[in-house]
Amino acid sequence: PQRALPIPHHTDFRQPLSLMPASPYLHEEIPYWLRVYSQASPDHDHKLRWELFRLPELDCYQAMLNRLFKHELHGIVMSYEMYRIALTREIERRMQQMNITAHATGGIG
Amino acid sequence: SLMRQPEEVFDIICKLGEGSYGSVYKALHKESGQVLAIKQVPIDTDLQEIIKEISIMQQCDSHHVVKYYGSYFKDSDLWIVMEYCGAGSVSDIMRLRKKTLTEEEIATVVHDTLRGLEYLHLRRKIHRDIKAGNILLNTLGHAKLADFGVAGQLSDTMAKRNTVIGTPFWMAPEVIQEIGYDCVADIWSLGITALEMAEGKPPYGDIHPMRAIFMIPTKPPPSFREPDQWQPEFIDFVSRCLVKNPEERATATELLQHPFIRAAQPSSILRTMLEEAMEIRESQNSNRQNQIKTITESDDDDVDSSTMVRYSREDTGTLKPLGDNGTLRAPIASSDTLKPSGTLRESQGIHGTNNTGTLSMDLGTMVINSDNEEEEEDDEDSTMKRHDTAPGERVDRPLFLDYFDKKEQEKRARSKGVKESTEPVTSLSQPYVGTGRPIVSQQHPASQSTQMTLDEKQILQQQQQLQQAQSNIQQQLHLQQQLQQQNKQKQPQTQEQQQQQHQQQPHQQQQTGTLVTSDSTMIYSPTSLVQLQPKPLSAEERRKFENDLHRQLIQMNNPANHHPHLAHHHPPASRGVAAENQPKFQRSFIDGDFEFLKHLTYEELHQRMATLDQEMEREIDELRQRYQAKRQPILDAMDQKRKRQQNF
Ligand SMILES: Nc1ncnc2c1ncn2[C@@H]1O[C@H](COP(=O)(O)OP(=O)(O)OP(=O)(O)O)[C@@H](O)[C@H]1O
Ligand SMILES: [Mg+2]
Repeated sequence: PQRALPIPHHTDFRQPLSLMPASPYLHEEIPYWLRVYSQASPDHDHKLRWELFRLPELDCYQAMLNRLFKHELHGIVMSYEMYRIALTREIERRMQQMNITAHATGGIG
Repeated sequence: SLMRQPEEVFDIICKLGEGSYGSVYKALHKESGQVLAIKQVPIDTDLQEIIKEISIMQQCDSHHVVKYYGSYFKDSDLWIVMEYCGAGSVSDIMRLRKKTLTEEEIATVVHDTLRGLEYLHLRRKIHRDIKAGNILLNTLGHAKLADFGVAGQLSDTMAKRNTVIGTPFWMAPEVIQEIGYDCVADIWSLGITALEMAEGKPPYGDIHPMRAIFMIPTKPPPSFREPDQWQPEFIDFVSRCLVKNPEERATATELLQHPFIRAAQPSSILRTMLEEAMEIRESQNSNRQNQIKTITESDDDDVDSSTMVRYSREDTGTLKPLGDNGTLRAPIASSDTLKPSGTLRESQGIHGTNNTGTLSMDLGTMVINSDNEEEEEDDEDSTMKRHDTAPGERVDRPLFLDYFDKKEQEKRARSKGVKESTEPVTSLSQPYVGTGRPIVSQQHPASQSTQMTLDEKQILQQQQQLQQAQSNIQQQLHLQQQLQQQNKQKQPQTQEQQQQQHQQQPHQQQQTGTLVTSDSTMIYSPTSLVQLQPKPLSAEERRKFENDLHRQLIQMNNPANHHPHLAHHHPPASRGVAAENQPKFQRSFIDGDFEFLKHLTYEELHQRMATLDQEMEREIDELRQRYQAKRQPILDAMDQKRKRQQNF
């Protein structure tokens, strides 16, 4: 009993980026001052006058900050991975120890 | 179509579900009586981009791609009007039936999916979010790709504004690494989705997404947990999808010729599955409706679709904020993986219990509305058993409640102590807990996860030590060099920055031995872990531990050729990465050597293990917030400039 909505036509397909290029800033060296900025206390951040940079520069900096973020993220995850390993080992060691003492006090000999 | 107010054109019937970017409603097109789905997405910027994307999507006309009819902008929400798929997503169906799909069912679904992908890929379009949650089934069992384009567009937009990294489980390695990708990235995701349909969750699905992000590119392609349960054709099919090198990966067109797909049965074989799912949904709804009716009997008069919309915006805001308050959302997450994002918010301690109130209100509203919704006559539905509520409709318990349940369970498990937590921690990140956890993966939970850890240990140790070696050894040198350079050549920076830098560097150099720097932004949370260490352990033990790590470190000193991709994450130290991850490494490595663990009781060790992911999450969230605050002024300045450019 119902009328279908008009089905879209097959018209020309505009082509947006079909291939996502690598981030152009992936290998660009990150300026040292930007690293400092990323680590510094935010108290003075408001004094920075970003509007003095050009648009492409700004885009580059924000992408670089993202890169720094991911790098630090990686650092965090890996350090927890180390911690996890250390914990696992320690737990294993304790379990072994408990086995040994159990055997010893059980007086197997 | 942007001219008229959407509520004049549509009647909202009920809510179908929620995703990372908004809620999906079932709606009636008043004029034609056609049932549709409408996704409502709060939007702050880049509306133009998104509308452009939708107009491209509107041109897609394939049986295997969900049709997009248009978009509206209402208040600050974008309404995306699309084809309604009465059986909901494949992941909905798994969750409802608490069952994975059979090989036969998978072949049929994957066949349709490949047709959809072939259609898109021939037009040089990448879907970018293939997963069971984005494969919708209509009531005839035809599988259709949903969320094409918009998903990608939105996640881009959001990612630009937030330092967000998507839920990685379905992402191709090259996508995670950001080294550029094309259509076959979807094929990887399809392989993961096939595993998801077979096993109930994607590989790594039960580890923390942030750990998975670093595992997917480094580890060999995943495969079945229990290969002997599956036909060789299926295993081969998946292995063709999960080829790490995109250039060697099969295309959709090629895969349509694969024996596994050529043997696929027609959609009608999905019938039992769909009927079962719909029955469950139905009974869940009627339970739910009874409950809520009694609660809201008194005030059901002022309920209308606009209330619903209003509520929905609120709960979207609380659950998965889209603004700048910065939760680690999972842009490409299935509704299940929303739980982790809830987690992060909870750890921020912002809304917690508030959520519950808002959402149950919301639910009440919707359920009452759905009482009179069911007169729809979908052509396709008529072939199916008549039902009161289609299975795609989520009027049952909101997912986040599962999440809080889960939290409770975890807490209990933790306080009970030892036994439950001997396994590596899976807390917070397990998508299927309490819902459609499949039989298959329940069979060997312990062996599964143990294996995973051991395996993962090796690779991650290597990564860790690679980084370690680089940053430890070169750090001091580096900072000094840079400091000198800095003093010689005037870099473009403000006075404050130089000051900060001078203040900072001594700290960074001295850090060996202590954790915390004077700068509050550099304090990382699990300091307590380290500071807790009571006494140095015996020299012998310590030496043993150090030797151990040292050995691995040496092993690791020529590893780069084994992991060429690591180069992207860890550019050679000579390029000056040292400072990037210094504090944490010093905390865990130089500083602690973890001897303090030796002084903890066995129970405490398990306790630590059980809260590991949570602590990591908290730390990540701090990091994310810090970077967001740092990027925001830049993004704002960019917005300003763009606006000004447009004006001239
Ligand atoms: N066209 C549709 N027809 C019927 N149900 C739908 C439709 N689109 C979405 N849904 C339902 O709404 C739910 C939420 O969809 P949504 O796309 O917002 O989230 P998602 O796919 O789970 O995650 P993501 O936001 O990452 O795409 C789906 O799981 C599905 O159940
Ligand atoms: Mg979706």
